[in-house]
Amino acid sequence: MADDSQRNFRSAYYEKVGFRGVEEKKSLEILLKDNPLDLEKLSTFSQRFPLPSVYRVHVWKVLLGILPPHGDSHALVGGYRKEQYQDVLEALEVMRYISSSTPSTHVYLRMFQLESQVLPRCSETTPPDEENEDFLSISRAMEEIVDDPIDCYWLIKCFVNQFHTKFGDSIPHLPKSLEHYLSQEEPRLLSHLKSSGALAQLPYGLWFRRCFAGCLPESSLQRVWDKVISGSCKILVFVALEILLSYNIMLMGISRPEGMVRFLCNIPQENTDAIVTKAIDLWHKYCGTLMHAA
Amino acid sequence: MAREQPNVGDLLPLLETLPVGFVHLPYLCFNLFFSQKERGSMLLNGLVDYFLETNSAQAMHILSSVREPHDKHLLDKMNECMTRQACRLPTLTLLGHVIRKQPSWIHKIARYPLLLSLLKCLKTDTDVVVLITGVLVLITLLPMIPQAGKQHLWEYFDIFGRLASWNLKNPGHISEVYLIHLHASVYSLFHRLYGMYPCNFVSYLRSHYSMKENMETFEEVVKPMLEHVRIHPELVTGTKDHELDPTRWKKYEIHDIVIECAKVSLDPKEASCEEGYATMPESFYPQIHMRPQDCTSSPYTDLHSSYGRKTSHTYLYRPVFLSLHLSDAVESRFSVVVIRAGGKGTPASSTPATSSPPPTLSDDFPIISLPANTVQSSPPRKVCCLPPLKTKLPCLQTVPFSVTAITEELLKITEETQELPSLRGFDSPFFHTTETLTGCQAQEKSHSSSAQPGGPVRDPHRATSTPDKAENTASTSGVGSETGGVGGAGGDSRSSALGLEQSWSFQSCFTPIDHHLHRSPSAPDDELGKLVGMFSLSPGSKTPAPAPYESFFDLALPRAASLFVGQKTSEAVHKADGEEEGVATASPLEVLDRLVQQGSDVHDKVLKRLPLPSKSADWTHFGGSAPLDELHTLRSQLLLMHNQLLYERYKREQHAVRNRRLLRRIINATALEEQNNAMKDQLNLQSVDIVSLRESLQVEHQRYRQLWDDRETVVTRLHSQIRQLQQGRDDYYTKNQELQSKLQECQKQMDELEAELQGANNKVCHTGHLLNQMTIKLSTSESTQQQMSFLNKQLLLLGEAHKLSMQELHHSGVDNTKEARMLQVSYGKEVETLRQSLLVQGQKLEAAQHRVGELETHLSKKEHLIVEQKKFLEDVKCQAKSELQASDSRHQAQRRITQLLQTELLQLYSRVEMEPSPSCPHGDALAPLPAGDAPLTVGSYPSARSFLGMRARELFRNKSESQCDEEQPQPPRLAGLAHGLKTELNHCFGWFWPSPPTQRR
Repeated sequence: MADDSQRNFRSAYYEKVGFRGVEEKKSLEILLKDNPLDLEKLSTFSQRFPLPSVYRVHVWKVLLGILPPHGDSHALVGGYRKEQYQDVLEALEVMRYISSSTPSTHVYLRMFQLESQVLPRCSETTPPDEENEDFLSISRAMEEIVDDPIDCYWLIKCFVNQFHTKFGDSIPHLPKSLEHYLSQEEPRLLSHLKSSGALAQLPYGLWFRRCFAGCLPESSLQRVWDKVISGSCKILVFVALEILLSYNIMLMGISRPEGMVRFLCNIPQENTDAIVTKAIDLWHKYCGTLMHAA
Repeated sequence: MAREQPNVGDLLPLLETLPVGFVHLPYLCFNLFFSQKERGSMLLNGLVDYFLETNSAQAMHILSSVREPHDKHLLDKMNECMTRQACRLPTLTLLGHVIRKQPSWIHKIARYPLLLSLLKCLKTDTDVVVLITGVLVLITLLPMIPQAGKQHLWEYFDIFGRLASWNLKNPGHISEVYLIHLHASVYSLFHRLYGMYPCNFVSYLRSHYSMKENMETFEEVVKPMLEHVRIHPELVTGTKDHELDPTRWKKYEIHDIVIECAKVSLDPKEASCEEGYATMPESFYPQIHMRPQDCTSSPYTDLHSSYGRKTSHTYLYRPVFLSLHLSDAVESRFSVVVIRAGGKGTPASSTPATSSPPPTLSDDFPIISLPANTVQSSPPRKVCCLPPLKTKLPCLQTVPFSVTAITEELLKITEETQELPSLRGFDSPFFHTTETLTGCQAQEKSHSSSAQPGGPVRDPHRATSTPDKAENTASTSGVGSETGGVGGAGGDSRSSALGLEQSWSFQSCFTPIDHHLHRSPSAPDDELGKLVGMFSLSPGSKTPAPAPYESFFDLALPRAASLFVGQKTSEAVHKADGEEEGVATASPLEVLDRLVQQGSDVHDKVLKRLPLPSKSADWTHFGGSAPLDELHTLRSQLLLMHNQLLYERYKREQHAVRNRRLLRRIINATALEEQNNAMKDQLNLQSVDIVSLRESLQVEHQRYRQLWDDRETVVTRLHSQIRQLQQGRDDYYTKNQELQSKLQECQKQMDELEAELQGANNKVCHTGHLLNQMTIKLSTSESTQQQMSFLNKQLLLLGEAHKLSMQELHHSGVDNTKEARMLQVSYGKEVETLRQSLLVQGQKLEAAQHRVGELETHLSKKEHLIVEQKKFLEDVKCQAKSELQASDSRHQAQRRITQLLQTELLQLYSRVEMEPSPSCPHGDALAPLPAGDAPLTVGSYPSARSFLGMRARELFRNKSESQCDEEQPQPPRLAGLAHGLKTELNHCFGWFWPSPPTQRR
């Protein structure tokens, strides 16, 4: 309450006039001061507001369980994580799965495989299957967002794990959901997609399995992942919907589904921020304040 | 225009056919023609020629009005005409007309050769008529081109010298009549030159007349002239060069120069002076003829001169006229003359000027008076020889007319003169004269001969030395009486006098004809020659002008009345104008000119009509020349007269201009004086105001003083009051201080008391505390009291019971009493002990209760603490759990690593084992296992049959004992191998594992 009284009385108006994130950082700092951290509140905050980039990694780590809610054990746990990372890394090196020339994403993949007990024999390495590709693209994106390789690995690992455990069931339903919202937003486009037969061929894997990694630039992507990490996979549907709406005219102009897919896989990187913002607005609009719906 | 050209010649004679009133019409037409340059010059030449031929008035009128661009042609044409002997005279006449018109371009004439040819003509020509006309033109021209004199000055002087000597030498042997004219012109020229260039002129005179051959001329001609001028101020202050300085002339107008010239003249006929009229009258009055210089310098000489001009005119021509009238109406004519004289005298008589006779008067007077008494016709004749005013005044005196008679006569004449012009018209005087001409011719001779006695008086200045004082005074008294009489007639007589002047001016205009007509047959040359002397004295003006009379009136009357006079004058002039207008619309001057013209024509006719014998008889009688010569002489004389008349008229105009200016100045001065008077009145009023204000000031002063005194007393009283109050205040101060010290003491006491109070309060608190304790004690004591009372009641009840029991006991037996008593005692003791134990028990209870409360609070605290501890524990548990999770995950990872390593190891083993058997290649040993099977391989043991499976089982025996239990019986040889592997593994581990920690640390 004391914090509330210190809050700027203008904060109520900032949003009205279109300034976002003025008070968020302060609120987040207040939240992060708690000991132990309230994960519930943090995820609610992350759902409702964009995270300040300074605290993004920290919040992600907390939300993904890399760091415990207790601040006191952060150092200890951080040490564990580091040691684990190094152990795994060294083991892989010893076993000659990786070398110094191996790209870091592959290193992460091997480590992940090792930890998930799916690491093939050194001699039996196969070209990465689709799941591995998803992982690789996610790790590529994460690598851009996070500098520290230990954090990066842990975030990738936990993100992928959480995504699969939490939303593994709902992912197959997302295309249906997208169709539903598209019918509400832009029925003509939907009908066009349907008629052209592109609806079934849309890059759902890119959108819903890789969480737009490789589709959106990292600056936009991290805002989407904020929501995903904080517990909503519905946002992916809205981002996809917004992409479709934004390039409505283009898509309407393309009749062949292959062309559409090709275009959607390589959408222009210019106004993705606006797309994400609109998508978040749309998400807020449809899902309201029910943060954990879906 | 081409159409017009041949008509020009024809057009000119048409001019004559036009009536006078239409003159401006052709003038306008000619102006139109003049607008073209070449045509204009041609037309001008034609016009000039035409004028020279016919002497046409219209042509003259047009020529004299020529405008700026044509002046050159006109002047050139005239210059050309000047070269011809025959045309010279009319050219000069034309030039005179043009100059008198004063066109705006006249100043240019100095640059044209016309002036040079004029001067040359004057220097060389021998025709006296031409000379006189030329001199008059030159005199008129001089003030217009004063700055041009520089180059021509000596020529002017030469002309003067030539003409002056002409009189004496008479080189052309011309008739003396001309000489008179010539002399008059020379006299005027002398005045003009002396007035304008005194230094140069005097030096010229000095140089020219120092020569012996000229001495005679000087003595005879120039010296008398010099006597008529006073010393010019420029002779004292100016130099020769300064005189010729053009800047000197810039401030002068033409009439200024004329008046300047007139100022230096002593001749009453010529002189003019404007300054100092106010001082003059008194001094002037009695000794006027004694000091003629005063007279000339006095302002009245101006009047006088103008007066004199008229009179001189009269004396020149009037007598003839009079004589004409004498024949048919001598009486009335004479009276007219008298009245005229009186009329003139009337305004003059109110000032001393009337008593200022020309020097000639007094000595002429006796001569006149005698004939006036004896012969009726003679006085007018005498008048012709003498300056007229005084001659007439004596006549009035001597003629036995009473004052009333004069006034009667005046009235009569006023009527007569008023109707005179209206009745006669323009022609009538002429007609009259022509009528009388024949009738009075017989008398002429005697008249002219009787004029002889006046002849000897040649030099009036010499005559002034012998004035008859008595007669003079008598004459002045006569004048006074007469003026009184006339003055009695009042403004009427004044106006009538004006009227007379007006009518007289008419008549005088005609006189030249009369004179001419009259003189020509009668007057012989020698008689005229005798007259020359007198003419030479005052040969100036012949033109009467009404303008001088205005100033006369202004001077005669008080200045304030000048306005009235001006009004009267204008009335009179208006009246005269009205009279004129009744006759004709043309100006009288034009009429005069025409009259002269017509007169000469008529004269020619008359002469032709005259029988030759009588003419010849006449001429032969006087020994004159042939009649034709005579005619010519007369004509030229007429011309000269006309010229001189025009010259005088021009002078009059100049005077009129000047008079108008002076009149305006007088009016201004009068207005200023009025203003002055008004200011003075205002001043007086203001001084009165000042006096009253001073009085009121004094009153105010007194009041102020009184108020001041009052204030002083009040102030002193207030001062004393203030002093008293100050004393009182000082007392209060001291008292106040005392009180303050007391107050301080009191405060100290108060402080002490407060301290005491606090102490008391402390005590009170203390006692309160004690009291509380006491009340607590009291309450406990009360409770004990209650207990006591309860116990007492018990006791009482027990006592009663005891009594009852005693009674029972008594009843029962006495034996029991002892026992009972003992029992009682024991009871008592027992009660006592019970009571004490009760007390103790109560206290114990209390203590226990207290203890219970304490314990309860302690318990709650403990419970809270336990909750907190639980929370903390939870927290710690969470933390530990999370940490544990982390370490668990690490452990898992380690396990995975280990597993992997084991797998690898196993793989390697299998390879190692395969190696000895050559059949099994290295690549086969590393036969790919499905990735998914790897953990299974590790977790579940390979088939017991295989060698590897056995090894592995042995290896993981510790881990999964349960699994390994069934395979307890192991072949011992395997144990050795396993041991070997273990060491190898350990070695391997030792090789790999210890190093990372060292790396980490």
